[in-house]
Amino acid sequence: MPSVCLYFQVHQPFRVRKFAYADSCSQLNYFDDLKNKTVCQKVAQKCYLPTNALMLELIKRFAGQFKVAYSISGLAIEQFRLYCPEVINSFRELASTGYVEFIAETYYHSLSSLYDEQEFIAQIDKQVGLMEELFGQRPRTFRNTELIYDDRIGNIVAGLGFRAMITEGADSILQGRSPNYTYRHPNNNMRLLLKNYGYSDDIAFRFSNRAWQHYPLSAEKFASWLHSSNANDQCINLFMDYETFGEHQWDVTGIFDFLNQFPQSILANQQWNFATPDELICWYPGQETISFPHTVSWADLDRDLSAWQGNRMQNKALDNIYALGQHIKATQNDHLLDVWRKLQTSDHFYYMSTKSLSDGAVHAYFSPYESPYDAFIYYMNLLHDFAQQCQRYPTQTSCSTNQLVIEKEYITELNSEEPIPSSNYERFSVNETITEIPLPGNK
Amino acid sequence: MLGWEYPPHIAGGLGVACEGLTKALARVGLDITFVVPCLMGGESAPHMTLRDPSGVMSKSKRKQRIKKVKIPSALTPYVDDKSFDDLLAAFKYDPDKTSSLLRSSLFPRLNRAEFEKFLASISLTKRAEKLLGAGYGSNVFEQVALYTEKVLELVAEEEFDVIHAHDWMTYPAGVAISKFTGAPLVVHVHSLEYDRSGKTVNTRIHAIEALGIHTASAVCAVSYYTRSIVHQQHHIPLNKVFAVHNGILSKKIKHYPKRMEKWPGKVVLFLGRVTYQKGPDCFVRAAAKVVPYVSDVLFVMAGTGDQLPRMKKLANELGISQNFYFPGFVKGKDLEEALSVADLYIMPSVSEPFGLSALEAVDFDTPALISKQSGAAEVLNHALKFDFWDVDRLADLMINGLIHEEMRTDIIWGAKEELKKLRWDAAAAKVYKIYNLVAVKN
Repeated sequence: MPSVCLYFQVHQPFRVRKFAYADSCSQLNYFDDLKNKTVCQKVAQKCYLPTNALMLELIKRFAGQFKVAYSISGLAIEQFRLYCPEVINSFRELASTGYVEFIAETYYHSLSSLYDEQEFIAQIDKQVGLMEELFGQRPRTFRNTELIYDDRIGNIVAGLGFRAMITEGADSILQGRSPNYTYRHPNNNMRLLLKNYGYSDDIAFRFSNRAWQHYPLSAEKFASWLHSSNANDQCINLFMDYETFGEHQWDVTGIFDFLNQFPQSILANQQWNFATPDELICWYPGQETISFPHTVSWADLDRDLSAWQGNRMQNKALDNIYALGQHIKATQNDHLLDVWRKLQTSDHFYYMSTKSLSDGAVHAYFSPYESPYDAFIYYMNLLHDFAQQCQRYPTQTSCSTNQLVIEKEYITELNSEEPIPSSNYERFSVNETITEIPLPGNK
Repeated sequence: MLGWEYPPHIAGGLGVACEGLTKALARVGLDITFVVPCLMGGESAPHMTLRDPSGVMSKSKRKQRIKKVKIPSALTPYVDDKSFDDLLAAFKYDPDKTSSLLRSSLFPRLNRAEFEKFLASISLTKRAEKLLGAGYGSNVFEQVALYTEKVLELVAEEEFDVIHAHDWMTYPAGVAISKFTGAPLVVHVHSLEYDRSGKTVNTRIHAIEALGIHTASAVCAVSYYTRSIVHQQHHIPLNKVFAVHNGILSKKIKHYPKRMEKWPGKVVLFLGRVTYQKGPDCFVRAAAKVVPYVSDVLFVMAGTGDQLPRMKKLANELGISQNFYFPGFVKGKDLEEALSVADLYIMPSVSEPFGLSALEAVDFDTPALISKQSGAAEVLNHALKFDFWDVDRLADLMINGLIHEEMRTDIIWGAKEELKKLRWDAAAAKVYKIYNLVAVKN
């Protein structure tokens, strides 16, 4: 009995203001509050509120047969709290149905997994705490920013006690294997769920494309494709930005009608059901391992890191922001730490991408700036000011060195793949063995 | 096709553009006759028939050249036998007779009064001559009138599907031939009087531009920016104006080292006429805001113009004259060296129909900072852009351009890829479509 697994990403970055080099020392707020408020409220009206309302209705209508999973970045939550708290309430309502799984990620939607392991772990910790506080759930599944993943990242995440991780079903890794199975990390017990990018992108990108041969896409047509897929498939993982509904695909495209019809179209074939990521790995604890020797992501056609590390400007900006980390942590100043982390959000570097002549159209759509060069200039001007500001704070050296040693030992421990004593990292559940449990009936 | 110059004898970018466009149109398979006022020798145009109407520009050569004009074997449908004989007579040059001949018999489609008025509108009165400025020769209207008459004589020989006229000097001839032969007229706007002179628009040139643009079946503009200016200035519907971006002819250039011995620091270059329209004021004022942050920078303002003395004074007043260098007009090797050495190329034009120089800078590995009020801003995504009045923004872009070598490298890499796509063939394909459109219409 194959399952459809829906996971949606909810994220809003703190966009930075148009900061001039000459603005240095002017004590300006780094973030474009007005822009962030405007975007957040607009997307809430177009997407979050109506889609949450529809999801709630569908969950109730299908009484336990329709389920979804969300990952909501900490920064999105912060902005909802500031600009549209009703969105948080609507997610809490969804959580209370018991048919919604909340997934963990880095609180700051950052690229810290590539630059600073200690920071990566701290940001996950913060996010897990937030999810627990808001939705009463301790996430057991993890997704990294933009589905960035390789074996090394898998090791760190498994070490934190997550049972499953979500990533891209990239062709370069699968090499002919199917994304429609649950796999296992080669060196530990963590399961991997791979995005079926073909079906996912049909909804997220091609849905309203009139030049597409399958336009217009109805839920019945889409369900019939899934129903006719390989009988041995375990799961079809449809992972996408939540903003697909109402924002990337506007209401007038019929995307909400599609979503409304979607559950019944899938469930029309009684062999099929819906599952959340955590349920999937209980039902299908795949034993087949899959190795990711190189890093993948779900961005652009390249599905690699080139959306954020594709040019010299991006690499310079990334190197410069992470270079500040040691000093900022040593100051033990919460304000500096918060600003530093908000400046790590992957979107800042995405806006600087100069792949603008081919698939850069997507970058341009999301960017608040006129050009990638503008994005770089505003960011670097601001960073120049921030670095100066940081230097004015004294460092508390003795304490931070101590902490660093502990973290380092901890990471070494993770890499050795030993089980971690729960007391050492009490926020996370222990890496438990997954036992096969019978499938819930849908007969 | 009617033009005012052709390489290698050129005063500006117009001749270069005509060469690029005609070569590409010839590749499409078009048969082109290109008429310039006077061939100087040394022109090479095997892809088309390049000719002059027997020395409009030079009286001394006129009689000699007249003999070289081929006598036509066939008549255009609009000239009867008697007219043709008259036309032949007219080749023995006699300005008065030619004019009266043209006025009387060769214009079946243009009534006499209209043509009188037309010629009067473009010929020069003593008073207008005195009023002329902006660097035009004092007898430019006379030359335009003469060119118009002589081109008319010439076309009695041939039939054309389309008349294509480049810039205002050839518009009267284009209009006259179009009326004379009934062939549709396409006018090509490389620049408008508005772009060239800004505040002091010459109203007679503006009127001639209006005549050409309103008479034409279609108008080509070298950018969307120019298209919008044509629309604003001449009040014609946008659906008659087509943006046809210039291409780039790759040419061999000599690269010089990025650093000079005399000046080991950074170099920022302004190149072009130092006139109001080129925005030198913005450049100098922005430079003053850069110096406090990037001290080892030299601003080079290469070119001459009526604003040059004022710019020198301004740099002095702002206390940055030690960071400024005014070499005057540069060309040839000096020009190539200046473009090679520069870390940034600045084009702060108030109104720039295309701005080929910004694209040429890219060839020398120099990133361009260009005003948004330019055609180049449409074709060059890999450039830093600003509004010509925004001094603070230009300063910020220059500071960042100077301190981030990584950005300069990314810009150049991307811009070079873009230039590869900017082919004259693309421009010719558009022009060919426009020809088909107007030829069918008529």
